[in-house]
Amino acid sequence: MASPILQVKDLQTQFRTHDGIVRAVDGVTFDLYHGESLGIVGESGSGKSMTALSLLRLVPDPGKVVGGRVLFRNQDLLQVTDEEIREIRGRDIAMIFQDPQSSLNPVLQTGFQIAEAMLAHKMASKTQARQRTIELLKRVRIPAAESRVKDFPHQLSGGMRQRAMIAMGLANAPSVLIADEPTTALDVTVQAQILELLGDLNQELGTAIIMITHNMGVVAGLCTRVLVMYAGKIVEQGPVDEIFDRPQHPYTWSLLKSIPRVDALRHERLRSIEGIAPDLLRPPAGCRFHPRCPFRIEKCFTDEPELKEIKPNQFASCWVTMDRARAEMGADQLLDIRPGAASGLEPGKLVD
Amino acid sequence: MFTRGTLIYIGQRLVLIVLAVLGVSSLVFLGIHRLPGDALFSEHLHGTQYELTLHHYGLDRPLWLQYVSFIGGMLHGDLGESLVNRGVSITPIVVREMSVSAEVGIVALLFTIGIGMSFGVVAAIRQNTWLDYVLSTTSVVGYSMPNFVVATFLILAFGVWLDNITQGTFYFQIGWPGRYGTIGAIWLPAFALGFPYASIVARLTRASMLEVIRQDYIRTARAKGLREWVITIRHSLRNALIPVITILGPLVIGIITGGVVIENIFGIPGLGKEFATSILNRDYNIVIGVFTGYAALVGLANLGVDLLYVVIDPRIRY
Amino acid sequence: MAATAAAVVTRPIAPEQASLWSDAWRRLRRNRLALAGVVYLTFLVVVALVALIHTPYPTYEVGVGIPYQGPGGQHWLGVDALGRDTLSRLMAGAQISLIVGVGTQIVVLAIGVPIGLAAGYFRGWFDQVVTFIINLFYGIPDLLVALILVFLLGPNLTNIIIAIAVTRWMDMARLVRGQTLSLREREFIEAARASGAKPSKILFGHILPNALGPIIIQATFGVPAAILFEAFLSFLGLGVPPPTPTWGSMAAEGIVTIRIAPAMVIAPSIALSLTLMAFNFLGDGLRDALDPRQRR
Repeated sequence: MASPILQVKDLQTQFRTHDGIVRAVDGVTFDLYHGESLGIVGESGSGKSMTALSLLRLVPDPGKVVGGRVLFRNQDLLQVTDEEIREIRGRDIAMIFQDPQSSLNPVLQTGFQIAEAMLAHKMASKTQARQRTIELLKRVRIPAAESRVKDFPHQLSGGMRQRAMIAMGLANAPSVLIADEPTTALDVTVQAQILELLGDLNQELGTAIIMITHNMGVVAGLCTRVLVMYAGKIVEQGPVDEIFDRPQHPYTWSLLKSIPRVDALRHERLRSIEGIAPDLLRPPAGCRFHPRCPFRIEKCFTDEPELKEIKPNQFASCWVTMDRARAEMGADQLLDIRPGAASGLEPGKLVD
Repeated sequence: MFTRGTLIYIGQRLVLIVLAVLGVSSLVFLGIHRLPGDALFSEHLHGTQYELTLHHYGLDRPLWLQYVSFIGGMLHGDLGESLVNRGVSITPIVVREMSVSAEVGIVALLFTIGIGMSFGVVAAIRQNTWLDYVLSTTSVVGYSMPNFVVATFLILAFGVWLDNITQGTFYFQIGWPGRYGTIGAIWLPAFALGFPYASIVARLTRASMLEVIRQDYIRTARAKGLREWVITIRHSLRNALIPVITILGPLVIGIITGGVVIENIFGIPGLGKEFATSILNRDYNIVIGVFTGYAALVGLANLGVDLLYVVIDPRIRY
Repeated sequence: MAATAAAVVTRPIAPEQASLWSDAWRRLRRNRLALAGVVYLTFLVVVALVALIHTPYPTYEVGVGIPYQGPGGQHWLGVDALGRDTLSRLMAGAQISLIVGVGTQIVVLAIGVPIGLAAGYFRGWFDQVVTFIINLFYGIPDLLVALILVFLLGPNLTNIIIAIAVTRWMDMARLVRGQTLSLREREFIEAARASGAKPSKILFGHILPNALGPIIIQATFGVPAAILFEAFLSFLGLGVPPPTPTWGSMAAEGIVTIRIAPAMVIAPSIALSLTLMAFNFLGDGLRDALDPRQRR
């Protein structure tokens, strides 16, 4: 891989509420390389969607991007003018969203909404746009494309709507396509088709894809690299194979552990991550995951860890790391993954 | 657009309108004929003069006979003869006045929709700024003021004060030149007539827009890189229009009824003015004619609104 | 080296359960416009009551001042065409407006609520008839019906109240019917039915209390609509006949002489506008306060 096409440095996005400031994205740094497919994984409220929206300055009120830089083609997207970012949206960096039912305008024809993307950036004349729309619909494998062009969104099925959205995103052959949970609102079988489509398009067109999801399975199927986010920060990042094989951050490990397996033994219980999602208004002191972490040590309560390269190209922000947890705390044999279960640490307990 | 189904629908509605008109005028007719006989004439007539006049208007016949000939006349489009001015046929008067009232009403409606929606959109886009608060408060004030109050202040401002300030160069003169007036004569009454409703439309548009701009598809439009004004007009506004269209019916009725008062203030020769005049003159035949005209006007206005739905939303067909 | 661990973040304690009414009252109190409306309306009621026993000048006495005189020391709001004190007439006019406004709503409630409840609860042929009648009334514009009625029955206070109520009862009936229709499907009604409660008990003990919120809001908005209506009628000369002062007739008299005595028309106009505004703000406030969906 050559130089990165997108460089995000210390991105910070906050929401001002009556109760205080919510740090939705709190210092996120990563690179995106040409033609790669990067996954951003996390639970609700982890900041993954907000990160994506921040890239294109689409954060809704009362949110604001308050710090950091987003470098794209020698420009900081956070600093360019409104007109310039408008040009980049939909043309160089495109974004598609989760629920195609609500993300498409119900009173406008589907074909028009796709052509609109081209016409807005003057990438084609009206007739060319119409032609290209039909080609795009065929590309995303919508049958009977010529007649579908005039249909309204409510006349299409869920899968077709999402394909239409993908067509809309790719209308101007952007370098980057951000997909915010594109399969979450779809049936499982349709999900697989959409993922396959995205994978093929990534290969054929060389468009880099940022795939945002809470589903590890989606990441495994589509992405080459993955970022794991928790409470507004990246807690682990690296190649997909490595992360799945040997996760370094306890959160990633817990996530993977909690996926039910077809080949699990009958008596194995389903595991979940104990505790509640972090309060982004008053995040926990020290490491943000410590209230739920089975492997926490005393340092985790007070000091916040930074992303460190644990293995080549694999980064995690943890004082313990899974290597040590496996070696010293018997992580692999652990049945009880409640907070502090492995390290034996409860709040208020003094350690010498 | 105007399919066979639509034409059939129009036909059905027209029949219903005729029935409604007949119903209303019958009601008024019967109601009036319950009044004591000599209330029907302004001058006091005695003896043979009284009987001759009574006979001329057919008022010496039994009531059911009068009613039958009344309905008969109606079906021919004949509304009878003025009680005060002998020989003057009522129908042409009423028809002419209907068109004047309609004219003022349409101008008021255009103003209402145009200004109301514009203000509503602006207030929604600039939500919670001073502009929004000013517009929102103005709109409550707006529909809380009777239209004659609005008219009063407008006359004061543009008729009296402006006159004083500019020493008579610019001022608004109450009047109605010609059959259909002029822009100079019509704008103030139309404004006064439409203002309370413009406020309601503004409020509704604002609320509707606020909901629409929070929708996901607006976010998609922005992510596509469309210009803000394109998003506002092509994407937001078209969806925000829908609730406004639903109140169009009552709105038009409100403008018609409000017109009664406005016409009297500005001396506009429409049905409303005729109503007041004819009551003053005790010309009850004309009173019946006026109510008939209003019933027809309301029916046609409702039909017009329903046909407008067809034009605006291609999914609606009758 | 010892270290104490950070305390675990505790969940906030659930707030005290508040009833719908006290919750709504609290929210209403915070609405400044609605409060201003209440203050003004209280003031208006006081003025109207005071006017029963005392006004600066006798309300009907002509010639107490120089006709068309503007606002000044002796006559705070000026004098009208017949030399009557405008302020005194304005105060008396408040009585008419309030009586008409509240009176019509009382009639509307008396007619509309029972009809709406019965139609919504029992459905069947009664509901069909009621719906048909409601649509019939909606077909004819309200002002015209009121004009016809007042014209034929004669303009006096009672007839005006009846005429206005006759043209607006459908709003209340339709609202109550809709509320009843949706409430009757709720489980607690089914429970009441199952335990053998009589329909009257269900209607008045269960359904009506739950529909009370929207009913109150509708009535609150109905008052200014009625006052406006009456003002229109007075303006057209079909209101309460002279010499009783009503704001509408005062404005009608004043508008012809707007150049020489603007106070004659401005005073009742402002009084009308403020009163209507106050009711509208109050109605808005009530609607926001009683809306179960918190719109922050």
